[in-house]
Amino acid sequence: MVLNLEPISVERDLLAPGHRLCAGCAETIVVRQILHAVGEPVIVASSTGCLEVATSPYPYTSWRVPWIHSAFENAASTISGVETMYRALVKRGKIEDKGLKFVVFAGDGATYDIGLQFISGAMERGHRFLYVCLNNEAYMNTGIQRSSATPFGAWTTTSPVGKETPGKTQHRKDITAIFAAHNIPFVAQAAPHAWRDLMSKAKKAIAADGPSFINVIVPCQRGWRYAPGDTIELSRLAVDTCVWSLYEVVDGEWRLNYYPNPKKPVTDWLKSQGRFQHLLKPENKHVVDILQAEVDRQWTKLLERCKVS
Amino acid sequence: MADRRLLSGNEAIGWGAILGECKAFFGYPITPQSEILEFLATELPKAGGVFLQTEDEIAAVSMVYGSSMTGTRTMSATSSPGISLMQETVSLMAYLKVPSVIVDVCRFGPGSGMAQTSQTDYRQVTKGGGHGGYRCIVLAASSSQECCDLVQFAFWLADRYRMTVYVLTDATIGQSCELVDLKTRDFGALPDKDWVLRGLDERGGNGQGIHPHMWDYVGYHEDMNEKYREITENEIKYESYRMDDAEVILVAYGYVSRMAKGAVDLAREEGLKVGLLRPITLWPFPTNVLRELSLQAHHILVVEHSSGLLVEDVECALQGKVPVHLLGIWGTHRRDSSGIIYPERIVEEIKQMVGVA
Repeated sequence: MVLNLEPISVERDLLAPGHRLCAGCAETIVVRQILHAVGEPVIVASSTGCLEVATSPYPYTSWRVPWIHSAFENAASTISGVETMYRALVKRGKIEDKGLKFVVFAGDGATYDIGLQFISGAMERGHRFLYVCLNNEAYMNTGIQRSSATPFGAWTTTSPVGKETPGKTQHRKDITAIFAAHNIPFVAQAAPHAWRDLMSKAKKAIAADGPSFINVIVPCQRGWRYAPGDTIELSRLAVDTCVWSLYEVVDGEWRLNYYPNPKKPVTDWLKSQGRFQHLLKPENKHVVDILQAEVDRQWTKLLERCKVS
Repeated sequence: MADRRLLSGNEAIGWGAILGECKAFFGYPITPQSEILEFLATELPKAGGVFLQTEDEIAAVSMVYGSSMTGTRTMSATSSPGISLMQETVSLMAYLKVPSVIVDVCRFGPGSGMAQTSQTDYRQVTKGGGHGGYRCIVLAASSSQECCDLVQFAFWLADRYRMTVYVLTDATIGQSCELVDLKTRDFGALPDKDWVLRGLDERGGNGQGIHPHMWDYVGYHEDMNEKYREITENEIKYESYRMDDAEVILVAYGYVSRMAKGAVDLAREEGLKVGLLRPITLWPFPTNVLRELSLQAHHILVVEHSSGLLVEDVECALQGKVPVHLLGIWGTHRRDSSGIIYPERIVEEIKQMVGVA
């Protein structure tokens, strides 16, 4: 898929500036990339979270497209309702089919935790929509509490670091694989530094005849504890350490999109952020070993699925 | 020396849980409640308790149910939308007479609303919250000290009456810091937990199920009503402030009652005979107390950070015998979500009401 940066750079952003997201937040970067790729006409739904709160402080909006907010758990159901009525009205000849597209932006709390059953339901029913998870690996909007996307060993306010616990004591769940197991036409993982990869995936997803899902890692300077200017570098480092892999599952076929060479050690990743600083102490070396082993296990599994040797 | 600390209302609730022998907490992040979660994540395990963060409020309250059935003092805390999500299980626990303590740090609603302060949950929590016509005791805290004390009292009430007890605060109380005496409160003896989940025969459980009215629906509700009557007779709590010769009675709870207290003092300085009735139990509501106090009053002014919910219970209590006025959310100093009701505004309303403005 050919993507030329120059026309995109002068195209109007569908998410306007002036929103209240933090400096260095990756969410707007990703939302803009995806909306450039998807294009109009599009209807966007957001669940409760940083993006929703910061782009719609009453009575303002940053959205240049029709945008609907639902509660925390049910953006997938809300967009299902919109999409169903659009299809029904077109079918009955009440409105003209303008090729309207439907996109959900939701955080990892809304996707991995509270909203899982509703996304699963929408995917099983087969609504034609793209669900994007803006994954910053914790509840950042409420002040950095752990989610089931938070990695093993990470500090959050509800996975405290102390003598008894070295941060979160569970591994994150593999939600991308869970949605791939719904046998929907398109599922992928992406990252904002790899803009061409991300935008190509958004184009494929929105062209799919059915539900699609893209899980995008969005570095969060407040929650991960790093300097705001390092967001894109951290996105790259996540991929180069195989903490976050770029792949897609198209009609059930797994494809690897990027093979880091060299594959950097997970300690490079841990050193880059405050939320992992405690793991660099000698007494926590066993935690780092567990984390590295899990990253390696997931990477090996992914290579097998993608038939890469 | 007493253990005295500067605590936010939310931290004080956490301390209340620890002092009240809470041994399990299940919760989910939501502003303006998350500090309770964060505090207990660190402190409850140190006090020999269990902390778990769940994937949503439905899971949290369902874990409260499961944990309470083991006989453990268990709590959850959330804010308004979370209270809505919990209701199916709260109703179930009411049906099965399961003790639990649920804290609601109220935020502005309806819907997702705003994370800032309000008192828009009054009707929901005082009328049970979910389906089926049950009741929950509601304790309204108006200071960090009360957050700490009322959570302990809530555990006692929950065990005494085998039901859900809500502790209702608001974003202002939850986030404001005040000095708190950390004291363990003793409220008296409690019945044995002969209802805990054990199993039959040699395990000594109850083969009749958790309530003996499986086929007697009328009897079930009669029993519940009897319990509610007993609670109404014995457990009503309120504070009356400068009420001796009051001709104007303010009625307020939560953070607004603090403002109302300020308004009473300001009005008294100007020679106006104003007092405050602050219900601490919102259910059971101090209906008879208010009725008696109103005999000497010319005016009742309900002040609440909502469109008028508490006022319904006040009107019901007074049955039209004394004029009831309402200063609701329009009394806030700003029309956005950061607005709060200040004492000066209440005094202004009093003056208009009694015709001295």
